[in-house]
Amino acid sequence: MDERDIYREEILEQYRHPHNFGALEKPDASAFAANPICGDEITLELQVKDGSVADVAFKGTGCALSVASASLFTEWMRGQKIAALKKVTPEFVEQLFKAPVGPARLHCVHLPLGALRKALDEI
Amino acid sequence: MITRNQFPIFKKHPKLVYFDSAATSQKPQSVIDAINEFYTSTNAPVHRGVYASAEGTTSAYEGVRDQVKEFINAKHREEIIFTSGTTLSINTVVNGFAQTLSSDDRVLLTDMEHHAMIVPWQATAQWMKFAIDFAPLTSNGRLDLSAFKNLLAKKPKFVGVTYASNVLGTVNPIKEIVALAHQAGAVVLVDAAQAIAHMPVDVQELDCDFLVFSGHKMYGPNGVGVLYGKKELLEKLPPFIYGGHMIESVSREKTTYAPIPAKFEAGTPPVAEVIGLGAAISFIKGLGWDEIEKHEQALVEHALEMFRGVSDVTLLGPLDSKDRAPIFSFTVAGVHPHDGASLLDRSGIAVRAGHHCTQVLHESLSLGASMRASLAIYNTKEEIDVLGTALQGLKKKLYG
Ligand SMILES: Cc1ncc(COP(=O)(O)O)c(C=O)c1O
Repeated sequence: MDERDIYREEILEQYRHPHNFGALEKPDASAFAANPICGDEITLELQVKDGSVADVAFKGTGCALSVASASLFTEWMRGQKIAALKKVTPEFVEQLFKAPVGPARLHCVHLPLGALRKALDEI
Repeated sequence: MITRNQFPIFKKHPKLVYFDSAATSQKPQSVIDAINEFYTSTNAPVHRGVYASAEGTTSAYEGVRDQVKEFINAKHREEIIFTSGTTLSINTVVNGFAQTLSSDDRVLLTDMEHHAMIVPWQATAQWMKFAIDFAPLTSNGRLDLSAFKNLLAKKPKFVGVTYASNVLGTVNPIKEIVALAHQAGAVVLVDAAQAIAHMPVDVQELDCDFLVFSGHKMYGPNGVGVLYGKKELLEKLPPFIYGGHMIESVSREKTTYAPIPAKFEAGTPPVAEVIGLGAAISFIKGLGWDEIEKHEQALVEHALEMFRGVSDVTLLGPLDSKDRAPIFSFTVAGVHPHDGASLLDRSGIAVRAGHHCTQVLHESLSLGASMRASLAIYNTKEEIDVLGTALQGLKKKLYG
């Protein structure tokens, strides 16, 4: 598979063994988002210290792209300022894949961002 | 296969395995040519000008009405209304009929209906306050006829039922359903969107009150469809879309409406699309139903065998080939339908993933989504084998 393929090995590895998968002991914020189109679900948890993300975790079920997106995205979040998280755009999440996401699959890739935005409302 | 080379898209993409014909079918050269020829040689308004090309356009347009009448064996040509597709056809019937319902009334649908049938009824029920019942399915994906009969005992005023399920491939016993519904005093609307390309439809034989379908699922163009209704019912049904052509006379005070079919054909109609629909009917008749049914029945049997042979695949519809359209929805254990469809696309196979506009059906099966392979006359057994091989490899591709 070519390296601009969204289903390349590197992304599938994120699906098979997602980073930050699980739950936090004492989250400061927690939010759930679901995709009614395909039933995908994610729960995102954040631990905040001095205005930055000290720890992050997610749980849920979904397609390879929504799980890989949550894996890549949470990996990026760690250590970021809350102010920076508030500025994240859907396009930013897409570019974490380093490959074009077809229009039919954008909703998969955007799912973790929906959860993040809800979580930020709690902080 | 005799017909594949008549579809120019397969000349452009010889390896394309197109398994999404339930969403929209490909178009034969003759349909494309008819539309091209219309715009090249005769384009003029319909039902208006007195000059020669306008008269030619009108007679071509009205000629297709005769063709459709013959195609579905309607009694009268004015029982054929051209619409933009199944969705507008259903909305036209529902909007008109719902106005006669009150809070004591019920409408009976089935769990396998498309959103195009469910949503118009639900939306109008909000203001007319009637109740909607849904007839359940059996565990093998067929309509539960005894449950359907029990619901008919509640005396619904209207029954809306699909001829063939766009997900399960189930072909419903429409003649029997219509007879039962009529005995219970209901008016019946048949959604033939998924039947019309696969089997002969005879509205007088079925005795249905309304029957609807789209051109683009029967090798014709987008943007045109048909609403058939029995003459006396269409005459009573109020119009849905208002404007030019559907009137008899307009004054400052009031408008009187034209007789059918004009009453339901407001505005400038999609003339080229109607002419394309006529070419699609000619194409189907040219092949002949015997040929089409023989070929597709062989595809159904081959596909059922293929699906049986792939581990981890669960087929949603009936497992027997009787009364079954070549539409196969399935899940693969451990493979999300969207991943499955995206990975099959990488093998050149076009299938659809999602709920296919049937969330009620998917909920009744406790599923969020499925993959769907839907076939048509240009498909081959070899293509089914290509799908089978690709399905075998899906899990490995995803999990390494
Ligand atoms: C059973 C059924 N009914 C209605 C429709 C709606 O048809 P259209 O989108 O052409 O209006 C479809 C197709 O999507 C269908 O499969």
